[in-house]
Amino acid sequence: MNLFSITDLTVDVPGRRLLHGLTLDLPPGQMIALIGHNGSGKSTLLKVLARQIPASGSVAFENRALSDWRARDYARRLAFLPQHPPAAEGMTVRELVALGRYPWHGALGRFGPDDHATVARAMEECGVSLFAGRLVDTLSGGERQRAWLAMTVAQQAGTLLLDEPISALDIAHQVEVLALVRRMCHEAGRSAVIVLHEVNMAARFCDHVVALKGGWLALQGGPADLMQPAVLERIYGLPMQVLTRPDGSPVAIPA
Amino acid sequence: MTARLLPLALLAAALWLWAALHLLPLAQWPAWPLDPARMDIPQILLGFGLMPRGIVALLAGAVLGLSGAILQVVLRNPVADPTTLGISAGAQLALVTATIMAPSLLEGGRWPVAMAGAGMAAGLVLLIGARRAFAPVTMVIAGMLAGMTAGAAATAMTLAQGEYLLSLVIWNGGSLVQQDWSGVRALAAVLAFGMVAAALLARPLRVLSLGIQGAQGLGVNVATVRLLAVGVAVILAAAVSAELGLIAFVGLAAPALARTLGAVSIPRLLTLSPLIGALILSVCDGLVLLTADRVGEMFPTGALTGLIGGPLLIWLLPRLRGSTPPGTERAEGPAPRRDHPAPLLIGLAVALVVTALVLVWIGRVPGGWAVLDAESFAAFLPMRLPRLIAACSAGAALAIAGAILQRLTANPLASPEVLGVSGGAAMGYAGVVYLAAAPTAVALTAGSMAGGAVALVLVAAFVSRRDMPAERVLLAGIAVSALASGVLSAAMAVGDTRSFQILAWLSGSSSAVTMPGALALAAVAATLWAGALTARRWLAVLPLGAGVAGGLGLPLRLARMALIALAGVATGAATVLVGPLSFVGLMAPHMARRLGLARPGDHVTGAALIGAGLMLAADFGARMAGFPYELPLGLFASLIGAPWLIWLMMRPQR
Repeated sequence: MNLFSITDLTVDVPGRRLLHGLTLDLPPGQMIALIGHNGSGKSTLLKVLARQIPASGSVAFENRALSDWRARDYARRLAFLPQHPPAAEGMTVRELVALGRYPWHGALGRFGPDDHATVARAMEECGVSLFAGRLVDTLSGGERQRAWLAMTVAQQAGTLLLDEPISALDIAHQVEVLALVRRMCHEAGRSAVIVLHEVNMAARFCDHVVALKGGWLALQGGPADLMQPAVLERIYGLPMQVLTRPDGSPVAIPA
Repeated sequence: MTARLLPLALLAAALWLWAALHLLPLAQWPAWPLDPARMDIPQILLGFGLMPRGIVALLAGAVLGLSGAILQVVLRNPVADPTTLGISAGAQLALVTATIMAPSLLEGGRWPVAMAGAGMAAGLVLLIGARRAFAPVTMVIAGMLAGMTAGAAATAMTLAQGEYLLSLVIWNGGSLVQQDWSGVRALAAVLAFGMVAAALLARPLRVLSLGIQGAQGLGVNVATVRLLAVGVAVILAAAVSAELGLIAFVGLAAPALARTLGAVSIPRLLTLSPLIGALILSVCDGLVLLTADRVGEMFPTGALTGLIGGPLLIWLLPRLRGSTPPGTERAEGPAPRRDHPAPLLIGLAVALVVTALVLVWIGRVPGGWAVLDAESFAAFLPMRLPRLIAACSAGAALAIAGAILQRLTANPLASPEVLGVSGGAAMGYAGVVYLAAAPTAVALTAGSMAGGAVALVLVAAFVSRRDMPAERVLLAGIAVSALASGVLSAAMAVGDTRSFQILAWLSGSSSAVTMPGALALAAVAATLWAGALTARRWLAVLPLGAGVAGGLGLPLRLARMALIALAGVATGAATVLVGPLSFVGLMAPHMARRLGLARPGDHVTGAALIGAGLMLAADFGARMAGFPYELPLGLFASLIGAPWLIWLMMRPQR
């Protein structure tokens, strides 16, 4: 079973076509990077998968068309984190993480012991238990991103969609957050689709790479398929060089 | 593109000519130069009435169009104009104040007073805007609130002085009637000044359109250019205010029309806008002349332009660029948070009950204060209780509506006043007053409810578009409010007792409340509170934005519609009692938040208690301040609220 089956997906905004009849399948149980140049349509694709914007063509999640899912059922299976999570003014970390239980208890349902336990586990898994009582807007960037990740974990969704989760973080926090997402995928059997700018991060942490260029599919494959000078040049329109580190893993730099 | 303006120009000319020829056949028109000694009455009416009037319409329209174009360019805000930024209302308040407090100030003419008022209003709004990087939505909300506040204060003074000030209301509407050529000369000089200033500012303004940092990088002194440009725009708008009164939305319409005709560059916009403004105002005045010929001059031209403004704003809204930098629409730094809010909430509730009891007990008598003994207490209770209950309920309902709207739109300036419901209710009320021969209280209530409901449907239709940012709701509400104020000023300009009845209602009064009415309002407030508590999880998620809310499976459209309906119904019900303006809906949620009530349930409950307390205090003040006369409740509340609002907006951000 595919995680997502995308057929002839087209997204138009007035005067411009953002995605041109995209057709691809995304495998389950993997950490998938969505890469491409600015304006390549990677964030648009992610938002379509998260049902945030309408599109023509067909997209199926777990073999069911997106439009057939009820909003809360979809949120139980799939969690989405927007590119700039808002400030969550006046909210503690525990309250933020508890919002992840909304798809399960709805607007009126009881917040039971199971919910409390799930929230505690989610905070534990993302390492924010220590900050549970702190206000979200007093945390550092990396801590705040982990708190938001904990919210998606509390959603108990099998699939995470993350829109540039590391773009505002320094290098140490970038590694920390991506390592956490990788752990969440490989140890807990989740799938993740992540929009990334940094091609080396994508190659190092992700199992599968989808590259877009100008709204067209440019590449789909493993990190090894991506880290070829000719492929990178085709994606980014810039001559690239691939070096090999002492441990054998590749690093790409502009040539 | 100017060829497409030709029909408009021909229409304006035809309308004026029709009125002129109707007055006097061409053969009898007075010879130039005009000499009153050798003219008969119709010739004087034409030469010193209609002729200058036609030219004044052109000049004033051009001045307003230029003023609006400059403001829109310098603030990079397509809905900026002298009306939406509160400039015209500031001039009006200054004139009313001068008329009452210091008539001698007006000996030097209306101009200096109007300039001072307009300048102060513009300064206030710009100061607020400067703290938020001139974010367009916040600027318009601040301008509209400043305008409403000025309007409320002017209304208070008008009411306090009785009918003799009602002539000022006519001035408010912007009548173009002329008696000589002095207005033409004055406005021509202003327009010439404006054109020269605009020509000098055109290039710096074009650089400024790159944004602050870009312009600074190119060596432009951003603050000076902004100050000069806004100063010119204020002078232009204030001149029209002083000469003719409030002529709304020409400054908004002219640049908007210029843009749809393809005026993209700033010099083009600055030349085309005055032309279009002149034509718009001429056509409007021609239409007024046309109806005046049939039924007498019923309403001033400014009221007609106000009617155009509302639909125009609604049409412009989707074109407004939504990309304000994140955080700029926020009002202030993080508020404290209380981990155990229960004691505070209980304390607030106890304080409310105690205050209510005390206020029943004590009262003012001629010559001093008195505490009621048991016997008079029993006698006074049936009289005082309904209005206490009604005031508390109205305050609570407005406060809950405000809390809901602030959370829904994630904008701390959201309040029921700007939702448009109050404006709609006022229109409904005015409609009943004018259409029914002897309106009953039930008919008036039903009328205002219906008006509020129609406004609510308009706003809701707007919200139902999924891609519409929630903050635009506020702008839709402002558009409805603008439409309502246009209708109202047209109605008021008639200037008879019915106008006074509407004016009195606009300022709100609780004196006529009956016990069933008070209990009904209390039931509305209780229902609203229960509804808000039921929706508290939505209220927790919605401030985080559509992305997060959608990701969590929240039914976004349903939630928005339900919450807007809840807030709208509550506002409509409370408006019947306290009039369309009180600021309680803005103040109470803020106070609750500053007191550390952060969770949605606590926030809503605390806001309701504070709102009830505020309205109780306002009711007491309204009864006592002018004893033995009663001031209107809503007016008194807004006089408390306005300084709070200004203080709030002036607070430094973080």
